[in-house]
Amino acid sequence: MSEPAAPPGPVTATGTDPANVDGQAIAITVFSTVKWIGRLWLPLVFWFATTFPRASGTLARLSFIHFARWTMVRHIPYNGAPQRQEKLNYPHLYFESNFNGGWEEYIDAFSHILTRGMKVFWGTSYGFPQPLPTGPFKTYIKRNEIVASHFYGAYPEATTTMILSSLELAPKLEEFKSRARNMSAEAFAEQWPQFLAEVQDCL
Amino acid sequence: MSNTSGQATAFMALTPIRPGSEGSLRSYLEALPQAGSPLARLAGTHFARWVIVRDWVNDPAQPREDHLESPYLIFTSNFDGPLDPYLDELCMKLAPEAREIWGRCVGCPPDATGPQLKAYLLHNKIDTGFFVAAYPHATVAQVKAALDARERLISFAVMAQAMPAADLQSAFLAEF
Repeated sequence: MSEPAAPPGPVTATGTDPANVDGQAIAITVFSTVKWIGRLWLPLVFWFATTFPRASGTLARLSFIHFARWTMVRHIPYNGAPQRQEKLNYPHLYFESNFNGGWEEYIDAFSHILTRGMKVFWGTSYGFPQPLPTGPFKTYIKRNEIVASHFYGAYPEATTTMILSSLELAPKLEEFKSRARNMSAEAFAEQWPQFLAEVQDCL
Repeated sequence: MSNTSGQATAFMALTPIRPGSEGSLRSYLEALPQAGSPLARLAGTHFARWVIVRDWVNDPAQPREDHLESPYLIFTSNFDGPLDPYLDELCMKLAPEAREIWGRCVGCPPDATGPQLKAYLLHNKIDTGFFVAAYPHATVAQVKAALDARERLISFAVMAQAMPAADLQSAFLAEF
């Protein structure tokens, strides 16, 4: 068994290396080795998940993921010497996620909410334990995880929930603004609390 | 294959690190500041990262082990709009850092800038299988503007509690 791709650094309160953290945002980067059946299975999974996004809607229930991706690396481009041409014995599944919260909570939620989805994506990877219980799965992810050398987020202090709330609020605020310009001060004083009540879930 | 989700695009490049350059590349990347990251110059970037892969992680259940011939640099970005203009911008605005980063990779053009760097990154592009975004139709500018408006509305709502009713409208219109 080879060593993990990068030595683990100190773990922060978020449960991961400080290099994987930018404000509230956390990076996770994982490679796993794919069995031969995965060459056929994973392209079907990717096609299905992309073509029928509602079927993969459980991802939306993980309200702390900004962006995530799965990629099957089947070959490595050749750039000439001194690069030695790579001959892969297996495809390798690359997974990255940009999320907020804590590493432990993230993996717990993945295991409990996306139990079936995880089997679909990682079931053809060597060494993949069942998503539940979470202990062996966390060990597997830790062993396969690579620490980022530099991680950047454009709005590091914002959680996914804050962003979704803000984006929902924006058109409502615009609409109220345009109405407010044509109201009397008395009408505004009356409608302001109503507006706040309407958008309170976004605040 | 799906490199897009709504208006957002996923990009990944996997480039071989020159023999003997892994340590200096790692040091350079780790020393880049997060506040004031060079990636902030690319206004459409939501999240991006550089990761160094030294080797595959092999599992005891594998019939054969798999090993890389050299360490590789991964660059991934989640950004607004199509790939072409994004790479044009990256190859121009990130030129000083690109020389230090991809300049340590095999096959990178000597200048590490402009169309040559773009062609190099495209040559080493790995297509994404499945890409998912929580807010696929919102650009970075829209996200930042919406967050700002929400913050200001919360502050205004607190302030408005102590404000005479007759002054509310003018204060609101002045703020928004």
